Amino acid sequence: MSPAPPSLVELQTSLMDLLRRDASLSTDADASARAAEIATGNDRLTGVEQVDIYREQYFLRHVGALREDFESLAALLGEDGFDALARAYLSAHPPTSFTLRDLGHALPAFVAERAPWRDDALVADMARLEWAFVDAFDAADATKIELAAIASMPEDAWPLARVRLHPSVQLVEMAHVAEDYRSQARKLLAGEISELPRPEPGPRYIVVFRGSEKLKYIDVDRGAFALLAALRDGHALGDACERAAATAEMTEQTFQEALGGWFQSWTSWGWITALERAG
Amino acid sequence: MSFRKRHGIGDLGVGVGFRTKHYPHVLETKPAMDWFEVISENFLVAGGPPRANVERLKDAYPVVPHGVSLSIGGNAPLDDDYLRRLKAFVDWLDPPWVSDHLCWGGAAGLHIHELLPLPHTEAVAAHVVERVKRVQGFLERPFALENVSSYMTFRESTMQEWELLSTIAERADCGILLDCNNVYVSSRNHTIDADAYIDAVPADRVVQIHLAGHTDKGKYLLDTHSDHVCDAVWKLYERAIGRCGAVSTLVEWDDDIPEWDVLSEEAATARRLRASVLSRGASPRPVEVRP
Repeated sequence: MSPAPPSLVELQTSLMDLLRRDASLSTDADASARAAEIATGNDRLTGVEQVDIYREQYFLRHVGALREDFESLAALLGEDGFDALARAYLSAHPPTSFTLRDLGHALPAFVAERAPWRDDALVADMARLEWAFVDAFDAADATKIELAAIASMPEDAWPLARVRLHPSVQLVEMAHVAEDYRSQARKLLAGEISELPRPEPGPRYIVVFRGSEKLKYIDVDRGAFALLAALRDGHALGDACERAAATAEMTEQTFQEALGGWFQSWTSWGWITALERAG
Repeated sequence: MSFRKRHGIGDLGVGVGFRTKHYPHVLETKPAMDWFEVISENFLVAGGPPRANVERLKDAYPVVPHGVSLSIGGNAPLDDDYLRRLKAFVDWLDPPWVSDHLCWGGAAGLHIHELLPLPHTEAVAAHVVERVKRVQGFLERPFALENVSSYMTFRESTMQEWELLSTIAERADCGILLDCNNVYVSSRNHTIDADAYIDAVPADRVVQIHLAGHTDKGKYLLDTHSDHVCDAVWKLYERAIGRCGAVSTLVEWDDDIPEWDVLSEEAATARRLRASVLSRGASPRPVEVRP
């Protein structure tokens, strides 16, 4: 395919820079001059003002999209606080995907690393939890397997077997008891409550998943959470159990006693989609 | 495959956009509606409720996908990943046509999620024609380009927007999605003759018409899809139907979305106007068949 006309490349490159500026173009002489070179204006608007309409829309659209995906962060930080976070994030991570659905993918890492948000663990907690909801919502569909299918596997095949989790299963370790904070934040934003109490310190081990086409979450044991994480990362069951027991500081006996109950629950919730024997 | 040979595209009547607020009502009660349009990008996902919902919709109504991210006028190469996902969706949905906008939406690896206008020049026309041909060939489906609302006039433009749109449609052999509200918004923003715009678009290439509301921002109109269709846009619609005949029509309402009954009544208004114009003897849609 032949390249785009040079004038179009130049114009679009210049506009992309102007439209992502965080302040009105009229406040910057160089930006104003560049906008005026592109747009003619009319009897009501200057060329700079015409370009500024699109710049304002860029921030309205993207800050709005982030606000929809991170409702509890918006409630936690307040209108201006969330706006400041969203604009800083957009500056560091301008949208690279064709879909707004992907816009917030780097926000959990961003708030964990960047001041001042890194100084409040609840901000990172809520960013991770809310992004887990986004990922779980439209993750691939998969058919769950029943407990009987797992129980039928010979015992000697278990250590090397690999357990496949449903693609919607998302693991979120939180420093606060904040899994209900989102529903409370929604009530605050809707004016149903006047205050949003700060959650108590955790830890919490939350699994977000999609069941019967609805998003759900549940707080699980540390050992169960560690095992799910190891299985998600592709470790064979025997290895995953060893890692999880060590992480959760559980004895082999207590871990083994809990294992049957965990698998019973996980299959009932549709978290397991395959049990693959080695070889 | 020539576009003219695809003029067998049927008239779907008057439909509305499929929006989250109305999912329960539409999917559970299946209210009377001729057809639905879906925003393609919302369904280019791996699974979950979005795909399940559109599958249920498809079982009950004709559904046509309308894209916002193709960036047909962008200087960056077409996004192969996007096109592959769109084709998979379109193949599954099997609609009579696919549409997107005559605009650009990003450069240098960035997406700005805006329908940015293009300068009206011969060079831009040539650039877009080549890309439309590639898209239409890849999707193996009739493709229509929509005119966008614009708030900016380019110094380098050398022709009217309708000339750019018509030139591209003719040379690329594609269809046109004529958005009457966008014609009106741009005509007010740039002081151009909206009637002349409607009259200049090649009628036999118009496969769909959009209707929507906008917001008066004082010094300009903003295409917000947040209100009723205004009287001036209804008049443009009557003019368009008078020229184009019975073309599939779609009412868009994307912000401050009203209850279903209000949206349905807006579609009913379009249906009544359309029938009235057609009963006065508007030409049936021409069907050209090559010997």
